[in-house]
Amino acid sequence: MPLDYRRFNGPEDSVSYRRFTEDYTKDYKQFLDELIDENGRRKGGREMDEARTLCMFFARTGMISQAKGSSYIELKRTKVACSVFDPREIVHQNEYSTLGQLYCEVKFAPFSCRGERKALVPDSDERALSVALKKALEPAVCRHLFPNYQIDIFIYILENDGACLPAAINAAGLALSDAAVPMYDIITASSVAISGDKIFVDPTDDEEQLAIRNHDGVNHGVITMSMLPELQQVSDYRQIGSMDADCVLNALSILEKECKKIVPYVQRVLVQNAINSFEQQKKLEEEAKEREEALNAKMEVWKSILNVG
Amino acid sequence: MTSNTHTGTTVTIFFEDGRKFNDQRDIKLNVNAIKTADASAVVKCGNTTVVCGIKLELAKPKAEEPDVGFLVTNVELLPLCSSKFRPGPPSDHAQVISNIVSDIVTNSKCINLKDLCIVPDKLSWVLYCDMVCMDYDGSVVDACLITLMSSLKTLLLPSVSFDVETEEIKVDTTIKTPLPVNGLPIATSFAVYQQLSRSVILTDPTAYEEEMCGGLGANLIACWNKGQLCGVFKFGGSNLSTENEKETLALAKQKSKLVEKVINICIENKS
Amino acid sequence: MGQKDDIYQNFQLRPMKCELNFLSRSDGSAILSQGETVVTVSVNGPLDIKTTSQSIEKATLEILFSSKGGKPSVADRFKENVIRQTCETAILGCLYPRTGITITIQELEDYGGLLSCAINCACLALLNSGISLHHVVAAVSCIVDETGNIVLEPEYQQVQSAATKLYFVFDSRDKNLVTGFTEGAVGEDMYLEALEKCRAASDLVFNFYRDVVTKYSNVI
Repeated sequence: MPLDYRRFNGPEDSVSYRRFTEDYTKDYKQFLDELIDENGRRKGGREMDEARTLCMFFARTGMISQAKGSSYIELKRTKVACSVFDPREIVHQNEYSTLGQLYCEVKFAPFSCRGERKALVPDSDERALSVALKKALEPAVCRHLFPNYQIDIFIYILENDGACLPAAINAAGLALSDAAVPMYDIITASSVAISGDKIFVDPTDDEEQLAIRNHDGVNHGVITMSMLPELQQVSDYRQIGSMDADCVLNALSILEKECKKIVPYVQRVLVQNAINSFEQQKKLEEEAKEREEALNAKMEVWKSILNVG
Repeated sequence: MTSNTHTGTTVTIFFEDGRKFNDQRDIKLNVNAIKTADASAVVKCGNTTVVCGIKLELAKPKAEEPDVGFLVTNVELLPLCSSKFRPGPPSDHAQVISNIVSDIVTNSKCINLKDLCIVPDKLSWVLYCDMVCMDYDGSVVDACLITLMSSLKTLLLPSVSFDVETEEIKVDTTIKTPLPVNGLPIATSFAVYQQLSRSVILTDPTAYEEEMCGGLGANLIACWNKGQLCGVFKFGGSNLSTENEKETLALAKQKSKLVEKVINICIENKS
Repeated sequence: MGQKDDIYQNFQLRPMKCELNFLSRSDGSAILSQGETVVTVSVNGPLDIKTTSQSIEKATLEILFSSKGGKPSVADRFKENVIRQTCETAILGCLYPRTGITITIQELEDYGGLLSCAINCACLALLNSGISLHHVVAAVSCIVDETGNIVLEPEYQQVQSAATKLYFVFDSRDKNLVTGFTEGAVGEDMYLEALEKCRAASDLVFNFYRDVVTKYSNVI
């Protein structure tokens, strides 16, 4: 790897200390045992079909002051920030494009993953997520309204504990509506991890790893789906791993339900936003009025002074 | 409502509820919020938000300095935090900030690199401290240092056993010792605005104010550590007379004491 | 005044040698040696630059610093930034809107005080190029040695052993601080003392500029 001249570099041969800890080498069985307790509940006390959304969904907008719209989503330990900037002209483009473009960039913080430190240069994971995000968002945005322009959407994953693509899509949807970009519908996303006969809804990092690593059964993998719930349309579907048709159909119906469950949360945030901005507007107007009155009063004083003079 | 523009214009318009020239913005600090990092801190100074995460790694020390570990600090200005930054490798501005922060940390000698060595010539810790700016609204260096120092202060090093003969490394994460940190460098940014014959000095400027005073970044950064100056950087902006300089140093000293208190209280409450 | 003269007597900067118009193809160039440290600078401008980096208010400065080894590094970008900001205050940029001025700095030898030498050399090259300036600038570096003495323009060995290094740049008009930065910890009193000493010593640099320009004005 060429040396990065634009950053400070550590020694080339450094490795994470976790490689030398005891739980670095665990086989599939141990892994599974740890994730599910004897009552069939997951680590952390969730039921198999219980999404983190319902335990804790901390979402807000307007976190980044410099951006047009921004949002922050926390699904227990998965933390994602998103900002959206004003449409801008596409540089170096010769042809007229009738549809506006979305530029999506997903980045992991160097300290976001449990294992090795992420390199600061973009890797294949990040690029794949960026493409997936772009594909998922494109059907939701009214792109014909800003031809020849592009909207920049930046996602930053501060901490990754599974389901980061759905979190990124949800965050981007919120940020886009915060930025008042015209959209057809709210966009929500969810994912499941499938390992044998077990289906983990809204999986954690461990569960995702488990599903991908499992090779002895037919069904294993992760499915992510994003939806425009009011329109009953699926905007993106992504599957990693292999599974039979029944399993896919089953997963789809679960995902559809999950996507719909998120809607009220998103709506609540957006409504709260509207209320806040309305109140702020009122406050500003009041202040403006006060100021004008003060100015007028001063004007009167000056006038009287002038008249006396 | 906090619109923090302490009007840097020559015309006296309404000061509204803005700050005075030497007021600083509120600081919010949270430590160990990110569990995937070995230590982390989030700070919000007004709108400016910086997250710092430390990742621990092991490596062989350099042959020329066998008893010294590594401390690698980088500042990332993401395209997410402001429209001024484009995606891609770090801009010149990001590199300048990285350099200033790293300079201050080395100059203040708050971390003795020898503490990071486990077995001389064989094994030492590498501390990757990544500071990412989530919201760029001026005075980034101040915020970077606050998060970095809070993270370093809460960092726990797992115990490592190294077999000299077999060169086998074993890490026990159940026993952890804190990293000794002596001193607490705190930086304060100023923007120097030329107003006719005299200059106006703005403490803790926002991004807009920095821009008004000549381009990206603050004009003057003064850093105090244990009653000593461990870095004074003055670039661009209006030229500075001695009286103004003395005034800023005093202001920075005052602020450093306050921020030190904030950091200590925050860490105490967490532990 | 008498007392001030005394202080002047005690100042000794490293011997400075300079040649202007060192490079034949650039608008202005200079090579400067301060003690053993040698830097060469070429200035080109005002010239056309791409629209995206144009400013309607003032000339855009482009600084290229190449170290002796030639490998770029973060520290070099920092040096570029220091030189850019310093030159920006010195150049009357509003006379050349929508243009660019390129300053290229090549380090030849570094025996301490590289950056102050680079700034002085850049200033001389700017004078040579005929670009209008607000004022000229003079950079002076100093160290605080183990015994707590301030040494101006130290020799190589002294720089290596020094705990603290300070760099200051002053303008020629009011002798105000244009740029300054420190490496290493220093007490406030010591800092202010070093600042004053360097301020007084900057006169020597300005006198040197005068000598150089007088010498060359006859030739050119």
